[in-house]
Amino acid sequence: MNDRGLLERVRRGDHEAFSQLYALYQSAIYRYAAHMCGAAAADDIVQDTFVAILRQPSRYDPARGPILGYLLGIARHYVSKRLAAGGHESPLDAFDPQGDRGAAAETLAPDTPLDAATRDELVAQVRDAIASLPPVYREAVVLCELQELDYASAAAIMRCPIGTVRSRLHRAKALLTAKLAERHGAAAVMMRPNR
Amino acid sequence: MNDPRRGTTLDHALRSIAEEDARLCASPAVEANAMAAFHEVARARHRRRRRIVAALGVAAVVVAMAVGGFEVRRLNSGEPSFQTSDVKLQTSSEVATAFLPLAYSGVPIADGHVVRLEVPRASLISFGLVPADDVGSESASSGTVLADVIVGDDGLARAVRFVRRPLRKETRQ
Repeated sequence: MNDRGLLERVRRGDHEAFSQLYALYQSAIYRYAAHMCGAAAADDIVQDTFVAILRQPSRYDPARGPILGYLLGIARHYVSKRLAAGGHESPLDAFDPQGDRGAAAETLAPDTPLDAATRDELVAQVRDAIASLPPVYREAVVLCELQELDYASAAAIMRCPIGTVRSRLHRAKALLTAKLAERHGAAAVMMRPNR
Repeated sequence: MNDPRRGTTLDHALRSIAEEDARLCASPAVEANAMAAFHEVARARHRRRRRIVAALGVAAVVVAMAVGGFEVRRLNSGEPSFQTSDVKLQTSSEVATAFLPLAYSGVPIADGHVVRLEVPRASLISFGLVPADDVGSESASSGTVLADVIVGDDGLARAVRFVRRPLRKETRQ
């Protein structure tokens, strides 16, 4: 059953098809929403996304990519609304004052403690660092690294050129590294091997 | 990046997060709510479809009434329920088929009307009936036959029967 066939069955009121659609894609939507808005809001966003699909199942265009991208695009709409309502973070489409062009010029801390951190600690630290990224960069990391979407799919969801996705991801990684280095600056000095 | 090890380590951490997150999913309550929404939307669509069909049914009856001769008899207006067995032929000499169910015969009916109208003789064939050789009847020359259609108050036609009026020579006897 392809995506279009599945949605067509949903449109006709096929309960099994809707269950199948939900089982296939709820996790990906939940993970995206949880990283963007927090776990508490993720449930609501998953629900809103599937209700939206129910109301307008005919809007999906297979020519524009797989259904996951379509669903994440709907979820992104709700994420953006929540971020805007929250007021403490810039919305996803907001202008980035530093600009995407600044990615390559991002300078890193000369040394980081990443190599010395244990795996679990490092993962926890990276999680925190991702959560603290500006939404536009966090989204690039979530879609390209954590959801493992290709640049084209991510660009379709983010409604921006592929080059912008690349530069945002590059800058996001630079910011992550910098944040980790900043957090462990003292430790890095202590753990730097003598040369 | 200046140190390729940093990117590698970060990439490893990101992959670990992706693997850990793969197990995450929405709470069961979300699925229950989504399913409830699904059923609500399905019900709303069904209601909308029924309203459209009912409107079309009403329109069809109105058109039939405007075009052909017809006769409407209100059935037991005081009765809460509609019963086809109460329908009586206009005259004892009329011959009619049993009521034949139509597409919406399964839809519950609280009250309704019998609408008498003339329909093309070809309609008999569509119900598997053979047109009788009733040359001399009132409608034979016009290529139509009489039909009683049970129409519910919701505008949906539930059943039809075909009526043959007595031949002239039968009437004279």
